[in-house]
Amino acid sequence: MIVVAIGYLIFSSIRTTSEYYLTVPEVAARQAELGGQAIRVAGRVKPGNIGWDPNSLTLKFEIAPIPDLDASGAPVKPVLASDPVSFRVVAAGEPKPDMFAPGRDVIVEGKLGADGAIVATQVMTSCPSKYKPKQSQ
Amino acid sequence: MPQLGKLALAIALILAAYSIVANIYGARRHLPDFVVSARHAVWAMCAMVTIAVVVLWIALLRSDFSLEYVAAYSSTTLPRVYKITSLWGGQQGSLLFWTWLLSIFTSIAAFQNRRRNPEIAPYALAVLAGVAIFFLLMLNFVTRPFDLLATIPAEGSDLNPLLQNYWMAIHPPSLYTGYVSATVPFAFGAAALISGKLDDGWIRSTRRWAIFSWFFLTLGNMFGARWAYEVLGWGGYWAWDPVENAAFMPWLVMTAYLHSVMIQERKDMLKVWNLSLIGLAFGLTLFGTFITRSGVISSVHSFTQSGLGPYFLSFLITVTLAYTALLIFRSKQLRSPAEFESYLSREAAFLFNNLMLVGIAFAVFWGTIFPVLSEAVRGVKITVGPPFFNRVNGPLALGLVFLMGIGPLIAWRRTTTSNLIRSFAAPVAIGVATGIVAAASGLRQWYVLTAFSLAAFVLGTVLVEFRRGMNARRHMVAEPRAKALVNLVAKNNRRYGGYIIHVGAIVAFVGIVGSSFFRTEVKKSVHVGDSFTIGSYTLRFQGLDQADTPHLESATARVQVLSDDGREITVMSPAKLFFKRPQQPATKVAIRSTPASDLYVVLAGIDDDGQTATFEVFLTPLVFWLWAGGLMMVLGTVIVMWPNVRERAAIATALSRSTTDAGELADAAPGGD
Repeated sequence: MIVVAIGYLIFSSIRTTSEYYLTVPEVAARQAELGGQAIRVAGRVKPGNIGWDPNSLTLKFEIAPIPDLDASGAPVKPVLASDPVSFRVVAAGEPKPDMFAPGRDVIVEGKLGADGAIVATQVMTSCPSKYKPKQSQ
Repeated sequence: MPQLGKLALAIALILAAYSIVANIYGARRHLPDFVVSARHAVWAMCAMVTIAVVVLWIALLRSDFSLEYVAAYSSTTLPRVYKITSLWGGQQGSLLFWTWLLSIFTSIAAFQNRRRNPEIAPYALAVLAGVAIFFLLMLNFVTRPFDLLATIPAEGSDLNPLLQNYWMAIHPPSLYTGYVSATVPFAFGAAALISGKLDDGWIRSTRRWAIFSWFFLTLGNMFGARWAYEVLGWGGYWAWDPVENAAFMPWLVMTAYLHSVMIQERKDMLKVWNLSLIGLAFGLTLFGTFITRSGVISSVHSFTQSGLGPYFLSFLITVTLAYTALLIFRSKQLRSPAEFESYLSREAAFLFNNLMLVGIAFAVFWGTIFPVLSEAVRGVKITVGPPFFNRVNGPLALGLVFLMGIGPLIAWRRTTTSNLIRSFAAPVAIGVATGIVAAASGLRQWYVLTAFSLAAFVLGTVLVEFRRGMNARRHMVAEPRAKALVNLVAKNNRRYGGYIIHVGAIVAFVGIVGSSFFRTEVKKSVHVGDSFTIGSYTLRFQGLDQADTPHLESATARVQVLSDDGREITVMSPAKLFFKRPQQPATKVAIRSTPASDLYVVLAGIDDDGQTATFEVFLTPLVFWLWAGGLMMVLGTVIVMWPNVRERAAIATALSRSTTDAGELADAAPGGD
């Protein structure tokens, strides 16, 4: 009985708390069905077009796909400023993360607005892991 | 020098392989010489791994950048203490450190069992050596710590700034010690299955190891939470990140195991369950390593795909299959003669406690791997964040707290209603009174009210237990109260140490509930001289101090804290640091901690002219008690582990007997309550 109760608790909670975890190309592909749905988008901060207003704590930038890596771990191609798929991100009311910088990988939590911009409640920079084999700067 | 490290690791691998063969051969053919020789091989292996560790440490301290590892994780300007901690700052080094701990623990287990447990110890040592082989194979062939660079750089790329604080010196070693020492009880469990000697000998021989492991897992989790709290600057201490979950799950399962083995020792029940739990605990330590290294599950820590994932997964699957096969193979012999007599018994309370703990572990596991599952099944990654974990684990934690109150007071086997009333009347009254007081003072969330009432109820039961024990003592020997209390704990350290751990857990639980439900947050950009308020505090930004050293640049804000009547309480100094190599910013949080609440100030941003700063301030009630409770749990565990007079006497008797009859020793391991 307890096992059933725990099972029920888990499954009912998953239904109500889940959010889509998507990459930028996936957001582009599913744009139609994502309106209003909580999403988490992994991408890379596109260089240029970054705005930060410290008074209203508003951060605006564009999020582009993270390039695929080849076998040796090097990017197949670098992120270009002219990358076709990217989304505007507007995050208000949050301080700019320490590690935020052009070309940095970020995870954006929020919703996709009707205008195709992501209204973010949180922008997380993935910290370079302690197991990162080499500096890539 | 690096060649020496490489050679030592190669020899260690051969010695580990030899010790498996010699142990199994010696045990099966009853050839003690082989078992002795296998033991010596284990010690030699430990010596070899130690040499490798020392070589790497020397290279780090001498900034020998011809080594790829040293160049990647150290620099000439890195303070010496972080050069030492860089040993576990990167992947190769942390695996080497892990292997080192494993070889040390294996050597100690070999020493402890040189005359004890002749039927199972050789197999247990073979299992331990088997685990060591996996790690040594990784170190020799897959992720080598002694790889050289073709061109020697003039300077290393330095340790990640987030790792440059004293937590780095204590958190990973604690967690690793906890992880690795769980291997010893697992190995003895597996050895019991292999040899067919399925009484509780393996549990008794490794009880201290299990508590030792739990102790360090507790410390490791607490240190990790505290590190996150002090360093990361988001005001919290736990984010249900996969990497945190990976450390939490083995702790949960070990906690369940430590409780359920008591039932096996007392009632000879739950044999399969205990063997499964220890297998699960070990598997989860491997799983934890797997998810942190493989990149399969995206974590905010975003561990780079290192290519280690498939190896760990294969090893994990092999271990799981082999262990499950052993359990099935021995299932007939594992059937328990005894059965549950009543749901109103301590056995039942322990069983429910186990279900809760394993249930929480399962929920955490499920939430952690859900993205991978949903992607495999539905083709889209769905994550569940902190809301999921809180929603599921919140009620389960309440159940667990409730059982913590029931378990110690209820009788073994069965209990009567009048017994129940006598034991629980006072604690229930305390719990209800607390609930009423909390509600009267304005608390309305049902969860908080239930949590505080239950916490008070459990503290009440512990109080009753202490009182009962003290009175019993004072009845027998005339002692002043304080002395009776000390003697009570000293003479029954397992039991009363356990209660102290419970009190610590409850205190920590209250801290977690308080800090989760009542945290407030203010974000504000202010000019020099301006102020803003949070709770009853007023914070005035007085100015910035800039500093520049070869290692880092820093900007420190002076923030004056005033109470609501305008009195200065203190001046806090949150700072922004900018490390020069690698070029990376970091935050230094300022915390003013009091038992009632923590004021937590983050300097989130600075304007270019240095006149405006953005602050993020958190006011977190009761979080102090989380750390206080952790400390109490640690203290309680030390009391539990302390060798007591009665046990020592038992061991001494057993040892003196063993000179005439060595075979009896296995049964004479320390008993107690």
